[in-house]
Amino acid sequence: MTAGSTAIVAHAEVGHAREGGISNVILGMLLFITSEIMFFAGLFAAYFSLRASAPAWPPAGFEGKLVWLPTAEHIIPVVTIATILLVTSSWTCQVGVWGIRRGDHTALVRGIGVTVVLGSIFLLMQAYDYTVLYSEEVRLDAGVFGTTYYTLTGFHGAHVLGGVVMLSVVLYRAMAGQFTKDHHDMVEATSIYWHFVDIVWILLFSTLYIIPNVR
Amino acid sequence: MSLPRLTRSRLAVVVALVAAGALLSGCGVMQPPEAVTSQGSEVRSLYEFVFAIAVGVFVLVEGLIIFAVIRYRRKPTDTELPPQIHGNNVLEIIWTVVPAIIVAVMFLFSYSALQKVQATTPTDIQIRAVAAQFQWQFDYLSADGQTVLFQQLAPEMEVPAGKTVHLQLKANDVIHAFYVPKFLFKRDVVPGVNNSFDFMVDAADAGQTFSGQCAELCGTYHGSMLFTVKALSPADYDSWLAAQIAKARETPPPAPSGGAGQVQLDIAAKDIQFSTAALEAPADKPFTIKFQNNDASITHNVAIKDSAGQEIFKGEIFAGVDVRVYPIPALKTGAYVFECSVHPNMTGSLTVK
Amino acid sequence: MATTALTPAATGARAGLYDWLTTTDHKKIGILYLVNSLLMFFVGGVLALVVRAQLAVPALVHYGFAAPGFKIVDEAFYNQAFTIHASLMLFLFIIPILAGFGNYIVPLMIGAPDMAFPRINALSFWMLPLAGLLIMTGFLVGGAAAAGWTSYSPLAQAKYSGTGEDLWIVGVILIGTSSILGSINFLVTIFKMRAPGMTMFRMPIMVWTMLVTSTLVLMATPVLTSALIMLFIDRNYGGHFFNPATGGSAILWQNVFWFYSHPAVYIMVLPAMGIVSEILPVFSRKPLFGYKAFVFATAAIGALGFSVWAHHMFTTGQVALGFFSFMTFLIAIPTGVKMFNWTATMYRGQLSFATPMLFALGFLTMFLIGGINGAFSAAVPVDFALHDTYWVVAHLHYVLFGGSVFGVFAGIYYWFPKMFGRKLGEGLGKIQFVIMFIGFNLTFFPMHILGLDGMPRRIANYSPDAGWSDLNMLATIGGFTIAMSMLPFLWNVFTTLRNGEPAGDDPWEGNTLEWATSSPPPPYNFDRLPEIRSERPVFDARHGLVGGGH
Repeated sequence: MTAGSTAIVAHAEVGHAREGGISNVILGMLLFITSEIMFFAGLFAAYFSLRASAPAWPPAGFEGKLVWLPTAEHIIPVVTIATILLVTSSWTCQVGVWGIRRGDHTALVRGIGVTVVLGSIFLLMQAYDYTVLYSEEVRLDAGVFGTTYYTLTGFHGAHVLGGVVMLSVVLYRAMAGQFTKDHHDMVEATSIYWHFVDIVWILLFSTLYIIPNVR
Repeated sequence: MSLPRLTRSRLAVVVALVAAGALLSGCGVMQPPEAVTSQGSEVRSLYEFVFAIAVGVFVLVEGLIIFAVIRYRRKPTDTELPPQIHGNNVLEIIWTVVPAIIVAVMFLFSYSALQKVQATTPTDIQIRAVAAQFQWQFDYLSADGQTVLFQQLAPEMEVPAGKTVHLQLKANDVIHAFYVPKFLFKRDVVPGVNNSFDFMVDAADAGQTFSGQCAELCGTYHGSMLFTVKALSPADYDSWLAAQIAKARETPPPAPSGGAGQVQLDIAAKDIQFSTAALEAPADKPFTIKFQNNDASITHNVAIKDSAGQEIFKGEIFAGVDVRVYPIPALKTGAYVFECSVHPNMTGSLTVK
Repeated sequence: MATTALTPAATGARAGLYDWLTTTDHKKIGILYLVNSLLMFFVGGVLALVVRAQLAVPALVHYGFAAPGFKIVDEAFYNQAFTIHASLMLFLFIIPILAGFGNYIVPLMIGAPDMAFPRINALSFWMLPLAGLLIMTGFLVGGAAAAGWTSYSPLAQAKYSGTGEDLWIVGVILIGTSSILGSINFLVTIFKMRAPGMTMFRMPIMVWTMLVTSTLVLMATPVLTSALIMLFIDRNYGGHFFNPATGGSAILWQNVFWFYSHPAVYIMVLPAMGIVSEILPVFSRKPLFGYKAFVFATAAIGALGFSVWAHHMFTTGQVALGFFSFMTFLIAIPTGVKMFNWTATMYRGQLSFATPMLFALGFLTMFLIGGINGAFSAAVPVDFALHDTYWVVAHLHYVLFGGSVFGVFAGIYYWFPKMFGRKLGEGLGKIQFVIMFIGFNLTFFPMHILGLDGMPRRIANYSPDAGWSDLNMLATIGGFTIAMSMLPFLWNVFTTLRNGEPAGDDPWEGNTLEWATSSPPPPYNFDRLPEIRSERPVFDARHGLVGGGH
């Protein structure tokens, strides 16, 4: 038994995270997003499968309910505006990240602050859209159309809400000056998450609104 | 723990003999029943092919393991380390490629068997199995797909032996599966899905009855969802079908009211169970059974068999919640069995004295 | 957060219950996983005994005899019993206990002081007892879930199943979330926390299997979560995903469910393969034969695992039979490679048969049968005959009990000295192995024949005329024999913890880093590490193959 007496690694070296590469937190976030992609993949698979087996899509009675361009009834296409805001928020978020990478605290606080506001407005607009759709009899229990619509957009909305909460924490900590040029993993991780939520929405918007209306 | 060489090899021989014996006896019982359909025979010969390969692989690998365990036991003299072999690429390639070939062959055989099992041939004999919690119903269709007979009476499917039957499968509540072990075949009965398959019972099996049951968990009484398949010669089948159609066209006779002084036995059914396991009736006198079916939308009846299993009386099958009064002819003294024709596990004894 | 790994864990003095409840030490969490999983194993085992007792004799009255039917429980409870048996065994015993071994062993094996995210690690664990309680609460509120662990729709819809089903869904979502968080933790730990010198191809196979398993969990479990949420919406909010009566699809559930649940089989068996791959070389005094082939085979099984799910659905008539049949056959190849490598590891070795080795050999022989009898179902026409019969019950138990559970017990006997500093008694261990091995084969081998003879799964009773009575009685005797084998085990653990033989740091002459620290290891695991030049650093150090000036 000579294990102890052979070459020894100094105690200080034991337990260090490996140098170089991405940090544990960012790797953890990327892996978490991988699992989120699979989660949404499950929902999307259900949507496409049910849509493929439906005799018509949108089913009778739901034609023209999901609008993204102005129509006579819907002069202002709320969803399209919300989409533009969310895409913009991805950019403002990244501006904040670029800021802290330079060590610019003001840019970080501004970028994240605007992102939180835009994300919140997106949620409010989605809530408004739900009330309009509900008044038009597009309900969760209204056939597979309503079920898939609310499940997909609802779970995306829940992720936006989660993102807004995370961004708010980042904002709070940024204002408290807890991030520096070299230590801001949480900012990076949160921004990756926010971009992911944005990309999911672009997919959803295309799938639910654009594709069924472009024939 | 060191055994002399001789003893060790003897041990190996004994182990090998015991293993071979167990294997041989295992092979004997590990066979599916003789198939009664031409499709089932395909399945059975494929099974035998796969089984032969399986036994070969098992004997080889298990033999290697047992050999290593016996041959390379650590001896007290083993103080030096054994040779530290880290691997061998040639071996790795061999035991990747050889199994790949075996697997490819198995796939080709099973794929070609699959084509035969799935093949469809145009046929006049069309039957529809309708599965519902927890009963089977078989309807008979004409060649153009019109239903000619809604068979309500019992979970029994009559088929002509030697002719291809096209069976449609239909369910309206949950998923069931049509399974006849002697067909070596099952197919799920899925609500919203139009499944069907063809089969042909061998002509030699005319006159036989095969048992079947639901094979997909469908709820509380899944295990009670039994049915039978009765193979008739084509001529018998035609006359049976004609007789059934004629019978179905007759208006059912009004239920005779029980005469004064007649004994009436009460029995009920709930949750696919009779309310009692034992009934008593007087000998040599007609009597009535008042049967209350309390299972909503599940069909039951009361049938009586003698101790030899011969059916003496079969009451009308009806869906609950409802009630019927069955007139029973005079019976001789003795032990009888009553049961539900739809759910053969609902049963009890009838003592006549 | 990045520096959490360096935060000192609670120091030794503050022991006691509070410490166990709040610990973030991967070793304590690992032990909590093991204890919780074993408790669930015993509850699930009792439910299995209920099932076996019910099936011991036919529940029907024989014609001509007036004897009342033999019935232990009514059909409704029977369905709950096998549903909860399977749910506990799969979701709360096998998956978590292997995660528990991973938790305890992976940081030790790669020379890390803890997992990457210790607090998330604790969170992952504490979701499990909660989920178990939720699932079992069903028994108290009018019936636990009874639609099988597969929960096929429409049977699992509100119209056909009660509150227990909702509790089951929420419980399984919790377990899934726990698994996902755990898998992220394992992956970051393995990628980022390895000691200097511990390259990917020097990692012990156990670590590799945890790496592949975690990837499977990460990719497959979220799909189950989405399926369960959709089912929950169907049941409670008038959704229509899986309800054919209103435009949904019953087959869709099966596709989404099995997309998770087939990879889940590998989640349940790969780490057990890892355990066996650690034990066989140690007790053969040889390195694992074909280390790299083993790594590639593990990765191949993981990758192929995503393309075979529909082989559970051959009889639905709604899947591409040829493709899924082919992929299923294909997966036999990497599995075969592993089998041959294990066998070759023993070739020309010096084998000693301590209890861990016996269980590892039990794994080899039983998993061999479980692999071979699975090939029958890959041949689609044969699957038409065998699907949903007791053959499948035999197959899955040979894989998950004969494979995983034997691997689990091998791991318990192997690492118990490391975890508690005392060696489990060899005598009792061997008694347990023999009883369990015999009981297991008595229970599950006859089920092959029952399946061939046409006995479907999940039926609460059968006719005495069916010809299934004798083999069922045999299986029931076997089932109770397995239960008996737990008595020497529990007694062994009890007496060993009280006054077992002190184990020392390295009782088995191990190969991997966990044997280079004390038993049990100190809070940060290592004061110092041997130099790592191969996948067997402790072996190298023992035999003077490394060291000196470098």
